[in-house]
Amino acid sequence: MLKRRDVLALFLILLPWALLVTLWHQRAVNPLIPVPKDNRTGATRRGYRLHESCITENKRNTKATQMKYFHQRPPPWSDTLPTLHVITPTYSRPVQKAELTRLTNTLLHVPNLHWLVVEDSAQKTALVSRLLENTGLNYTHLNVETPENLRTQKKPRNVRIPRGTMQRNLALRWLRENINPNSSHKGVVYFADDDNTYSLELFEEMRWTRKASVWPVAFVGGLRYESPKINSQGKVFGWRTVFDPRRPFAIDMAGFALNLQLILSKPQAYFKLKGVKGGYQESSLLQDLVTLRDLEPKAANCTKILVWHTRTERPLLVNEGKKGFTSGNVEV
Amino acid sequence: MRMRLKLKTVFVLYFMVSLLGLIYALMQLGQRCDCRDHDMSRDVQISQLRGELQKLQEHIKTSELSKKNDVPKIFVITPTYARLVQKAELTRLSHTFLHVPQLHWIVVEDAPQPTPLVTDFLAASGLTYTHLHKLTPKDRKLQEGDPSWLKPRGAEQRNEGLRWLREMGAAAKGKEAAGLEEAVVYFADDDNTYSLQLFEEMRYTYRVSVWPVGLVGGMKFERPVVEDGKVVRFHTGWRPNRPFPIDMAGFAVSLRLVLTNPQARFDGDAQMGFLESSFLQNLVTMDDLEPKADLCTKVLVWHTRTEKPKMKREDALQKQGLGSDPDVEV
Repeated sequence: MLKRRDVLALFLILLPWALLVTLWHQRAVNPLIPVPKDNRTGATRRGYRLHESCITENKRNTKATQMKYFHQRPPPWSDTLPTLHVITPTYSRPVQKAELTRLTNTLLHVPNLHWLVVEDSAQKTALVSRLLENTGLNYTHLNVETPENLRTQKKPRNVRIPRGTMQRNLALRWLRENINPNSSHKGVVYFADDDNTYSLELFEEMRWTRKASVWPVAFVGGLRYESPKINSQGKVFGWRTVFDPRRPFAIDMAGFALNLQLILSKPQAYFKLKGVKGGYQESSLLQDLVTLRDLEPKAANCTKILVWHTRTERPLLVNEGKKGFTSGNVEV
Repeated sequence: MRMRLKLKTVFVLYFMVSLLGLIYALMQLGQRCDCRDHDMSRDVQISQLRGELQKLQEHIKTSELSKKNDVPKIFVITPTYARLVQKAELTRLSHTFLHVPQLHWIVVEDAPQPTPLVTDFLAASGLTYTHLHKLTPKDRKLQEGDPSWLKPRGAEQRNEGLRWLREMGAAAKGKEAAGLEEAVVYFADDDNTYSLQLFEEMRYTYRVSVWPVGLVGGMKFERPVVEDGKVVRFHTGWRPNRPFPIDMAGFAVSLRLVLTNPQARFDGDAQMGFLESSFLQNLVTMDDLEPKADLCTKVLVWHTRTEKPKMKREDALQKQGLGSDPDVEV
């Protein structure tokens, strides 16, 4: 016959074990959200370093700016949405800060976005560094200077390289060096120039890219829009352009997105630097990665315009004169 | 006695084991568990992700923005007209405005009636808006090939916006009227670039507040010059002797001032560069101007202009009857 004392003893012994078992069982069903740590080592964890560091970065930033304009905060990070790695090459000119500001205002609406800003400069400029810090976005700031002899103006066609090529390649290299292809990190890579206009719908269309997705782009090739040609099976079979539609990929930089795994699995694929004819830059990368059959048409089977190739006028600073009428201390 | 001894050792034993287990579990907290054995079918996964996306998008729309009800409203008047880049301009402008709490966008089309493009766009934008239209009379309108500075643009449309505001102000009662007491009116062209900080600077305007504007007047920026907290003159490279040598994007007016001065409007026949003055000189003196943006030392708005896209191939195709599908809205 069990005494009360024994029953009590038995109960007290079993209680913590029961708690432990339930705890373990909980973990098996719902993985615990990892607590961000500063010193992370080990290749397997590298894939998460990205978004974890970004989460802490976001938290820090939002606290700092919370006093004034907390509405700037990007949407909360989701553990299940694929990450959009948006690569933006940029260079210093009067409208640079304006362009980056309005691009920021668009990107702040997009969840799970990682912005790779690559400056065409020898060093990271204070303007861009400060701007990126203040946005609250999840970003990576890189820079590489295009050598003078390869810049677009005043050089014969076969020598110069299209603007932004070296910068985009650097971003691709960064992704390859910092994301482990074996991690379960899902991502999509998109090249977004800083003067184009992007709708929010576009980012959601490209998020579900399996290999490579394509869509129409407005105001390119001297047309209202250029778009891929889609057949009745929903596959791309050609390009609706006037300018050289026989290019392997007659598409603008803003008209396609690539699955991150594709980039990581083919580490030799880059934009070609030299010997690229005008309009063939996109093809120089894509032909090493996909064929026409692999392309996934988006934007309602390529019938909607979700991105515009806008260009900003160069401001006429005629009244500045030789010495500069306005104060150099004010950042524009 | 025997029972007690047994208990003691058992207790010590389980205490040690549980302690070790707890330490182990705490260490595990920092690691990611290997959960690759979630064998869901692809479709289920996709639908789950889409659902998650929906949730996030809804979160964006109903986030703190709606909670912040106690700040003064900003009425933004944007004149717009149909051209190729119109939808693009309005799109990126709306992305900026979506971040600003208590913003009411008044879009005034230069058209005889509201166009489907703008109507559909505004309906999908997620913003609080009013859609108006006012056609510029032919003699005041810029013709094809005219340089942009020949005639002032948008005067009729801005006046229409002011008219609507005055109508609304007169009809407002009680709580609504109280809410409008501190509201602010800003004229935002659809091709400029606005930082989010700008709207917070202008929100608390008693009469007329001013700040620098970048990339305008042929200079990196134009600005009011502030001494002892007051505007004493304007730093501009072009005709500084205007009553208010300031760009449309460089000032905001309190709604109260607009409502108490029903005759104040933009003069469509004004000389080039005098459009702003034609409105402001009836409302305020330079002395009363409130300098913002760190006493007018920071550039928070840029007078960017968008290039007209080259359509030579499109035009050539149109001549052959092979133009792009006009049903596709650009």
